[in-house]
Amino acid sequence: MDREFEDNDEIISLASKLAKKNSDKETKMWVVASGKGGVGKTFITSSLAITLTKLGHSVVIVDLDLSGANVHTALGVPPSHMTIRHYFEGTKTLQELVIPTQLPHLSYVQGFWDSWSPTEFTNEQVHRLIPEIKNLRADYVLIDLGAGALECHLDLFKHADEKILVSSPEPTSIEKTYRFIESFVCHTIKENATPDAYGSMITTLRSHRQRTLQKPFSFRSYLKEQTGIHYDFFETLSATPVRLLINSSRSQQNENLGLSMRSVCNKYYDLGIDFIGAIDYDNAVWQAVRNREAVLISQPFTPLAGQFLATCKHLIAPEELRTVV
Amino acid sequence: MQSTSRHNYYEILELPANAPQYEVSAAYERARATYAGDNPAIYTIFSEQEARELLVFIEEAYQVLGNKILRNIYDQRLLSGRASLNDLTYSSIVEASRAAAIPEPAKTEKPEIKFKRDEAFEAEILACESWDGDFLKKVREYKNISTEKMHDITKINPYYVKGIEKMDPESLPAIVFVRGYVVQIARALGLDDKKVADTYMKSFKERLGKK
Repeated sequence: MDREFEDNDEIISLASKLAKKNSDKETKMWVVASGKGGVGKTFITSSLAITLTKLGHSVVIVDLDLSGANVHTALGVPPSHMTIRHYFEGTKTLQELVIPTQLPHLSYVQGFWDSWSPTEFTNEQVHRLIPEIKNLRADYVLIDLGAGALECHLDLFKHADEKILVSSPEPTSIEKTYRFIESFVCHTIKENATPDAYGSMITTLRSHRQRTLQKPFSFRSYLKEQTGIHYDFFETLSATPVRLLINSSRSQQNENLGLSMRSVCNKYYDLGIDFIGAIDYDNAVWQAVRNREAVLISQPFTPLAGQFLATCKHLIAPEELRTVV
Repeated sequence: MQSTSRHNYYEILELPANAPQYEVSAAYERARATYAGDNPAIYTIFSEQEARELLVFIEEAYQVLGNKILRNIYDQRLLSGRASLNDLTYSSIVEASRAAAIPEPAKTEKPEIKFKRDEAFEAEILACESWDGDFLKKVREYKNISTEKMHDITKINPYYVKGIEKMDPESLPAIVFVRGYVVQIARALGLDDKKVADTYMKSFKERLGKK
């Protein structure tokens, strides 16, 4: 896999030409979420961002982890006093808060780092934030969320061009990953359903969970049978499916875990998700974090970097791929 | 097998209908690994009992799709759009394959597996009136057929071949399949499949009753 990087310079020069050509293209928003904390969202976000810049794209990471900002540490830069709080308080636009890093084409927006006043965003704030994100001057904006299926997380996730869900191979994380998928589906349907229809769907889901349904449950056929729910939901979702990424995988079995989870979603919910890859557990990762530097920068030619490259390639449009590589 | 009415075999194995044969096997192995019990991916979603039920369908799907003749019949019926649900069940397809196979094409290219003939043992095989797993294993080993080789011939998972020989219901799918497996194994070993299956199933059921 290291071979992918051999012609790095050539790739970058080719790719930056391509990036210029595409500069009028719409900014893509990738949202990285997880059911459980500590599975490596920030590591995944920063590594995907670095890999995208290596492919010649400009990237802004927006740190939206309410429980405290981390992205700067993963990138190896000191925290800035210009945080996203300034945006929410209305004193700065989001673009004004973008801070460059030591890496070409990579910048970030510092998350909440002052803990004096509580942080939470309302629905309205999220809805105003999304167009601002789309207007940032970058090819890709990567959003690093906090853990759990909070309403604002689900909202951002829903509007993402790529929905990346990170799980570790531990049962605790797998469990919460399924809960996240459930809440995401329900949250999305809720907005397109009458309260009655939504209520009866929740009741049906509850009986599904308690195994008291007459016949096997399928979201797809259920939504088609109901009135009051707009069921083009699944068509939208199959165009931009939830992408599952298994982090700190320690064996081939963990790699198969992603395929198994995809199959379970299929059989239990009749819901298609996409498995985009397993990132190996690598001691170099925590060693790099201790030194406050990104592992893909201190050690750019490792199997780990190859895995991120493969993941990014899977996500970027294939026609772009052919020109770059 | 009521629930076959909901899924077709391709959906069960999560395959496109034009999947090549090797992908069928790969999908089957994946599905087996997912629902075979201690996989963390089914945690909080499927109970052990449900996973076992799913495995029965997965097994059934592979018995049909993993076999070229049966898959052909199934495909034809599925594509015709006229087939009733009854026509798409496992037993109906197996029956159709028997009917179609009456002028059985002589399998000339059947690779002969070499083994040392032992007249005394041959006589013992002929004389055997009550078959069980142990003796099937002996014959298989005598004929120099590994469980993997048996899988190549019969498309029965090596894991189940061993289960049949151990007569262990825990490691076998539903009883309707067990008989089918024994018949196929007996044929592959060149035995009288009816006699073997009848007597094997008798003692298998006795064991089930004891547990």
